[in-house]
Amino acid sequence: MSKIKLTIDDKLVEAESGSMVIQAADSVGIYIPRFCYHEKLSIAANCRMCLVEVEKAVKPLPACATPVTDGMVVKTSSQIAIEAQKGTMEFLLINHPLDCPVCDQGGECPLQDQALGYGDGVSRFNEAKRVVNNPDIGALIQTEMTRCIHCTRCVRFGQEVAGLMEFGAIGRGEDMKITTFMEASIDSEVSGNVIDLCPVGALTSKPYRFSARSWEMSNQGLVSPHDCLGSNMIAQSVAGEVKRVLPGHNEEVNECWLSDRDRFSYEAVNSDDRLVQPLIRRGDRMEEATWKDALTQAAAILKETINKTGGQSIGALCTPTATLEEFYLLQKLMRGVGSSNIDHRLRQQDFRDDAVAPLFPGSQIAVSDIPRASSALLVGCNLRKELPLVAIRVRQMVQNGGSVASLNPLRYDANFAISHEYVVEPNRMASTLAGIVVRMAEIGNCDAPFEITSLVNTTSDQDAINAIAQLLLRDPNSAFVMLGQVAVNDPTASSLRAMASWLATSFGVRVITLSDANSVAGWIAGCLPHREAGGKSADILGNNALEMSTGTLSGCVLYGLEPDLDYSAPGSLAETLTKAETVVSFSVFRSAVPPQADVALPLASFTENSGSYVNFEGRVQFSNAAVLPRGEARPGWKILRVLGNLLRLDGFDYVAVEDIAREIPIDSAVMLQNSSDLSYVGRAEGCGAVGDLEDSIFLRVCDVPLYSVDPTVRRAVSLQKTKDNIPTSVGLSPNRCEQLGFKPGHVATFRSLSGSVQLPIYPDARVLDNCAYIPAGRVETVSLGASQTVWLDLNS
Amino acid sequence: MMGALTSLWHSLPLLIQLGLKIIAILGPLMLVVLYYTYAERKVLAYMHVRVGPNRVGPAGLLQPVADAVKLLFKEIVIPTNADRYLFVIAPILSVAPAFAAWAVIPFSDTLVLADIDASLLYVLAMTSLGVYGVIVAGWASNSKYAFLGAMRSAAQIVAYEIAMGFALVGVLMVAGSLNIREIVLGQQGGIHQWYIFPLFPLFVVYLVSGVAETNRSPFDVAEGESEIVAGPHVEYGGMGFALFFLAEYANMILISSLVVLLFLGGWHPPFEFSPLTWVPGPIWFFGKLAVIAFLFLWFRATFPRYRYDQIMRLGWKVFIPVTLIWILVIGVARVLSPIHFVFR
Amino acid sequence: MDPSDWSGEGFVANPFCISLAMILTNLKNLVRTWFLVELVRGLGVTSRYLFRRKITVQYPEEKIPKSPRFRGLHALRRYPNGEERCIACKLCEAVCPALAITIESEVRDDDTRRTTRYDIDLFKCVYCGFCEEACPVDSIVLTDIHEFHFEQREGHIITKNDLLDIGDRYEAKIAADRQADAAYR
Repeated sequence: MSKIKLTIDDKLVEAESGSMVIQAADSVGIYIPRFCYHEKLSIAANCRMCLVEVEKAVKPLPACATPVTDGMVVKTSSQIAIEAQKGTMEFLLINHPLDCPVCDQGGECPLQDQALGYGDGVSRFNEAKRVVNNPDIGALIQTEMTRCIHCTRCVRFGQEVAGLMEFGAIGRGEDMKITTFMEASIDSEVSGNVIDLCPVGALTSKPYRFSARSWEMSNQGLVSPHDCLGSNMIAQSVAGEVKRVLPGHNEEVNECWLSDRDRFSYEAVNSDDRLVQPLIRRGDRMEEATWKDALTQAAAILKETINKTGGQSIGALCTPTATLEEFYLLQKLMRGVGSSNIDHRLRQQDFRDDAVAPLFPGSQIAVSDIPRASSALLVGCNLRKELPLVAIRVRQMVQNGGSVASLNPLRYDANFAISHEYVVEPNRMASTLAGIVVRMAEIGNCDAPFEITSLVNTTSDQDAINAIAQLLLRDPNSAFVMLGQVAVNDPTASSLRAMASWLATSFGVRVITLSDANSVAGWIAGCLPHREAGGKSADILGNNALEMSTGTLSGCVLYGLEPDLDYSAPGSLAETLTKAETVVSFSVFRSAVPPQADVALPLASFTENSGSYVNFEGRVQFSNAAVLPRGEARPGWKILRVLGNLLRLDGFDYVAVEDIAREIPIDSAVMLQNSSDLSYVGRAEGCGAVGDLEDSIFLRVCDVPLYSVDPTVRRAVSLQKTKDNIPTSVGLSPNRCEQLGFKPGHVATFRSLSGSVQLPIYPDARVLDNCAYIPAGRVETVSLGASQTVWLDLNS
Repeated sequence: MMGALTSLWHSLPLLIQLGLKIIAILGPLMLVVLYYTYAERKVLAYMHVRVGPNRVGPAGLLQPVADAVKLLFKEIVIPTNADRYLFVIAPILSVAPAFAAWAVIPFSDTLVLADIDASLLYVLAMTSLGVYGVIVAGWASNSKYAFLGAMRSAAQIVAYEIAMGFALVGVLMVAGSLNIREIVLGQQGGIHQWYIFPLFPLFVVYLVSGVAETNRSPFDVAEGESEIVAGPHVEYGGMGFALFFLAEYANMILISSLVVLLFLGGWHPPFEFSPLTWVPGPIWFFGKLAVIAFLFLWFRATFPRYRYDQIMRLGWKVFIPVTLIWILVIGVARVLSPIHFVFR
Repeated sequence: MDPSDWSGEGFVANPFCISLAMILTNLKNLVRTWFLVELVRGLGVTSRYLFRRKITVQYPEEKIPKSPRFRGLHALRRYPNGEERCIACKLCEAVCPALAITIESEVRDDDTRRTTRYDIDLFKCVYCGFCEEACPVDSIVLTDIHEFHFEQREGHIITKNDLLDIGDRYEAKIAADRQADAAYR
């Protein structure tokens, strides 16, 4: 693009040709008032606030919609410009209510600020003001549409960014209203961003409503612990309580957006369910205790168990939302007492490729490069709900001309166009991907290795496979394969990973492996049975997460997880815990402490804890505590430090949290290497064996819904009220429902090897005929365990 | 009746007689001190266009009693690092000379406890002793403000003691006696015989030095509440403070009475004719004393506090030369007595 | 007599230019100094005031009239229909120079913005009246009550209920005072 020179307010400005006057002014720090213009949205020019005088133009022109031209002379504060701005402001204020004192936007309101700068002290408008009804649009966003100035930022956000046009404008002139279609609620998983976008108080945060004012809050930058993107956020607090969370601007990670999960999860931190005092078991009851007693007791019982049955008889399961420092200290503590049974991959089923895994499962492409990719294949990935902000990037990629294909066990909704959607039964994921890989090898004139070809199932839809292979090979160097939650937690995950790796080494296709929350940090910190910190192979191989519940542990440390809901096989874990002599539970929430716990230690929540988060790109971000911990809760690293000292372990004398991270060897060279070892591909159990299923047997399609991923999110009240938090039910394909004669809501019993559940059945068009969609991470489905098949009990 | 009382009196042992006499002087003196404080507050208030104490009793007359009761019942606090014995002794050292000096004060020709020959010297000695109380208090308190105050007080009293002494030299030169009663008798015969006229400069010097000697405004730098909190009294409360207070006011009255006796004719009426001579001598004495005592209060209400160096300058560089010169004048007048001047 | 002036320096201020007027002035000053003229004049002033009419107001029995602008104890007002005026906008809290006001707010059941806590620390308060000026709904006011005390340790913090009670009890007077002052605002 060529540069153009223009003059703004007697200042010579250089701007890209095709850019707008307002952008040129912003680049040199000249402020032009605006409401509808937003750098991330298209230009609407409907607020008229940015009118400026342009020499030789007849009338003042909107700076946001006037492209720069060579030699242009712009005056932003001339008589004409100011009169135009004042006039606009007067019109805007005609229908705007004077309720700033009760408006949550008061104090941070562009309209308020600009009315002060450009408005008159007195209104000349004596007629009746317009009043608009407020639609109820869900639990997250409060509407006050009388305040709306029709800038349409929210409408454009839905259309352009979120990919879900939920807001729209109806009516014209004074009767224009911004509303949802048919009084529906706003269900986008990134809907909270319209709160930030709205320049007035028309759309405000419902959980935050009326609880504080913008000027009294103190800000602290945080990193989101809920997904592996590590969105930057700003926690705003008053008197030690987080009142709301706003996005932190980081173009590399989350731009200026924030997903609702990150934005509203702070509610759980303020909930009454917090564990605020250490607990010690006395008989059948858990009684409150002092830290001294609780820690001494925890150390004593762990020591006793170790002395009795040896270090390898205890194990630790860690939540993936922990910080790098917590992961590190936990594994240091466990290895210090002679145990390498430590894992944070709580939902993973397939651990066969542990030995050849890279330093951490991550991305070979930066998040900010995704919009420039040409094609993508999403494997077992409900991207929109897993990583809402990455979905926005993929949407940008589609808007830029890229194509996306998907290989899922369910027809997941996406907020971008999917050119080839291939839905297969969960046990055919590997064979179908093998088909695609073999087809790509054929097209690319290279030989696919035997391990992969042997997996191919000829019954697959060859047209679809061909199309997807063509798509990826269009420009393989800017294509990527993304392995999502379903793929990673699949029993054949190793095969999927190995095939993706082979694509990367053979064709240069990038691989993105998504993981839970801060799992990447867990890998780096060595919170794994087979690796120590920094990717060093462990001397003694320990039991992985799955083995820990099937083996016999006489002592168990549960770090931050809710054993029922955060673990793939809750039934067997509960059994293990019951059998174990010693159970020490670190928990943020009271109700997350399992009944088998002997000692419960209150952890600080993510807003109260300082530590590092590593996102799936390998980006290390430090998050500072925004508030002091509730009650007696303490940051995990401090608890672990004291516990380490009480267990007489060396090297637990940290003064500051920064000291811990300095100790962790992070060798970036091995970060994102591809493994070319394919020996793990073929041996997946049940791979490719798709028989005709009987009427009563279903393959279970299982994922963790958006707002059930971790204990914190599960306790965020407002998030739980959204439509994304569907009531736990079984989704069967409409065909099967009809065939079985089930009306929506029919309650039936499903059995698996580990137990049975009674759940209502709803027809779900996303589900294949021989599959049943039963979400995990829900109390109601705990007893089904990790079983891949479920039987419908027709007699019930 | 009278005869019986008189015989009863004479039958008492001498010590008891003396004790009763002392009580007869000190009892009313304390009462006067009590009401002098009341008068001070009232006069100050009136000069400030206020009304002063008026809540306790009619017109506030019981206010001093209430104050006294309050002070008596307050806890006696001795600071941790104070010298305990000196701290307790200091108020006594202060109040004892103030009372003892009253032994030689004649209220009339016959009403005097001890009519000794050198009574003026005795008074001079007693009033000078008072400074020890202040200094000991300042030292014993172990507080910088108290100590500063004590130092100031010591230096000030030394400076003014000399001027005061010289002023008295003038008086005894004129009177030819060190006995106060005789000095007063020397002023008999009407207002023109009072020593205030020949000795007017000495009268002024004595009065002002008296104010300075008692640490009263405008010479109250020892107390200096705005700079050194309360000077030597800063650590005292309750009884201790009450004693200092008592001493200060007793001294004021003492100085007033000395002014009356030495310069204003004591118990003599101003004019020796009918209605005035009917009035008993003590009444004249107390009347004059009240006027001088009022002057103390009037000064306090009128003059701002002197700067310390100004006090020193006034004492050493003005009062002492003035008295010396006037003593010379009197001496010359005595020698050139033929015209007899005013002296008999 | 002012000793610092009594130095005799005036006599030789300028030995080359001694005029008659100067001599006279110096003589006058000398007389003034030695006869304590100024001190006596000062005594005259105080003695005159001794007999002036006393202006003391005998407080509990006599009271002087108070301005309608008098800033005394705080109160929270209500609307005539009984609804509390305060909308928890926290402008008073923001403007308070002594940080004496603490407010917590919530969404009341009828979806209006209300305080759950409105505390004023009377020890911190400097009675500047900024809160009243900042209030957009004339809710927080400073009444003309100045005779108040507390006997409990925490009595200096008055709560929302206390404030509303004060407002209810003195509403007539509060309203009358605002009315009287309205023309000058």
